[in-house]
Amino acid sequence: MAREQTLADKLSSSSLWRSVVRHGYPDTQRNQALIIASNVFLHIHPVKIKRYATKVTYTFCLGGLSFFMFLVLTGTGVLLMFYYIPSADLAYQSMKDIESSVTFGQLMRNMHRWSAQGMVIVVFLHMCRVFYTGSYKPPREFNWVIGVLLLVTTFLLSFTGYLLPWDQLALWAITVGTEIGGAAPFVGNQVNLVLRGDFEIGQNALIRFYTLHVLFLPLVAAFLMAVHFWRIRKDGGISGPL
Amino acid sequence: MADITQQMPGGSPAVAIDEAKRQKLLELVRGRALARPTDLAEDEVMVWPSLVVVEAVCATVFLLLLLAASVLFNAPLTARANLNQTPNPSKAPWYFLNLQELLLHMNAGVAGVIIPTLALGAIAAIPYFDRSPLGVGILGTSSKGRKIAGFSAVFTTVVLIGMILLDEASGRTQFFIGGILRTQFGAPEFVYNQMLPMGIIVVLIGVLVTLVQVIFKPTRREMIIALFTAFVITYVVLTISGTSFRGEGQNLVFPWQLPREHH
Repeated sequence: MAREQTLADKLSSSSLWRSVVRHGYPDTQRNQALIIASNVFLHIHPVKIKRYATKVTYTFCLGGLSFFMFLVLTGTGVLLMFYYIPSADLAYQSMKDIESSVTFGQLMRNMHRWSAQGMVIVVFLHMCRVFYTGSYKPPREFNWVIGVLLLVTTFLLSFTGYLLPWDQLALWAITVGTEIGGAAPFVGNQVNLVLRGDFEIGQNALIRFYTLHVLFLPLVAAFLMAVHFWRIRKDGGISGPL
Repeated sequence: MADITQQMPGGSPAVAIDEAKRQKLLELVRGRALARPTDLAEDEVMVWPSLVVVEAVCATVFLLLLLAASVLFNAPLTARANLNQTPNPSKAPWYFLNLQELLLHMNAGVAGVIIPTLALGAIAAIPYFDRSPLGVGILGTSSKGRKIAGFSAVFTTVVLIGMILLDEASGRTQFFIGGILRTQFGAPEFVYNQMLPMGIIVVLIGVLVTLVQVIFKPTRREMIIALFTAFVITYVVLTISGTSFRGEGQNLVFPWQLPREHH
């Protein structure tokens, strides 16, 4: 016998609701499949998955956390962009303003900074997890290469963001960092000049690092992540014991 | 279908049922069955809810930890950038301090560009050398693999700390060898500051490979575990050394002797 219709039932079976959400309450396998397959964000997942793939002690959620940190960084980064001015004259003052007069500005900056540091660590640990479980083996060898590129992109994202506060820590860290790059054999000086846009770090370097940080490198990362996630699905989901 | 008919009390075997009767039996099981039919294999689960719950919990826990850290600790903001005031020591971001540490001991191009490029290239190439599917999904492949990882970790840590101290004691002259080559034999920078350090690294990797080969008789996968572990430990040890033990003039100090802004 059918149970009595509650208000929630009536609402969720209304044509307005159903125009947005195509499936019913996910308490049947059919609806649980539909909720994954009909949602643009969830359909990154398959409908069914091997049981071991849900074990936290296998993945430690490291890949997922890397992606989640990328999302947190994008969110807090956009908020910071409303206030930050990429000008050698004004950048430092705008940082001071974010910290002292913008509502939740200091919190946004802290979250951005700590998850940027965290992302470097987590991406590195993710690589270690994938290595030690042998998950790079065929057919996943190309996805491992994409992963190495994502590690490099993460380093570059963090490095380009490091200059933006325009304080002593930023300036000299980037000076040392670009000097390391500038030591490249044969092309060192050119690399240095391309990065700095000048012989020393100033306005040109700032606007280059800013553009790389807020636009170019996030796009590169998003592109590589799309390939990375797609390949996980195509190569048979996350690895597991044979 | 056959299962249902066989489970019916007093039901006769499925083969004996004619088409009309079978449809009647189907009517009997209409409604909410206690055990729903499933196409899930034994070792499979539905992503909703089994995986999305894990993801949601992980994301929530992480977000709470991040919020707590962000409330408790402020991101650093030092004095305004000033090109005329070089801090001593000047340090790269912490995840590049391993390279900066390396830079103290050899030519900048070798330490800062050639070695990291080779290391990343080698890491990217791992799956093209190790193609055997053996041990996928098992941490460290086997108990032997885990032992090899442990051995490599200890070996690398001891060797690196020893080398840092020894090179520091020799006044960063590649354990005096570079210094002797330079002063006694008039060797060019290319020899004592590039070839020599790279040679030392190659020899030490060779020592590790030989030791692992002799002690463990490893498979190719297990040998790669030894090498990858050596890379990870090198990254960590050099980062810690560069972050916490390099003070003014990049001289070795204890972490509590570092200038204030590097604490």
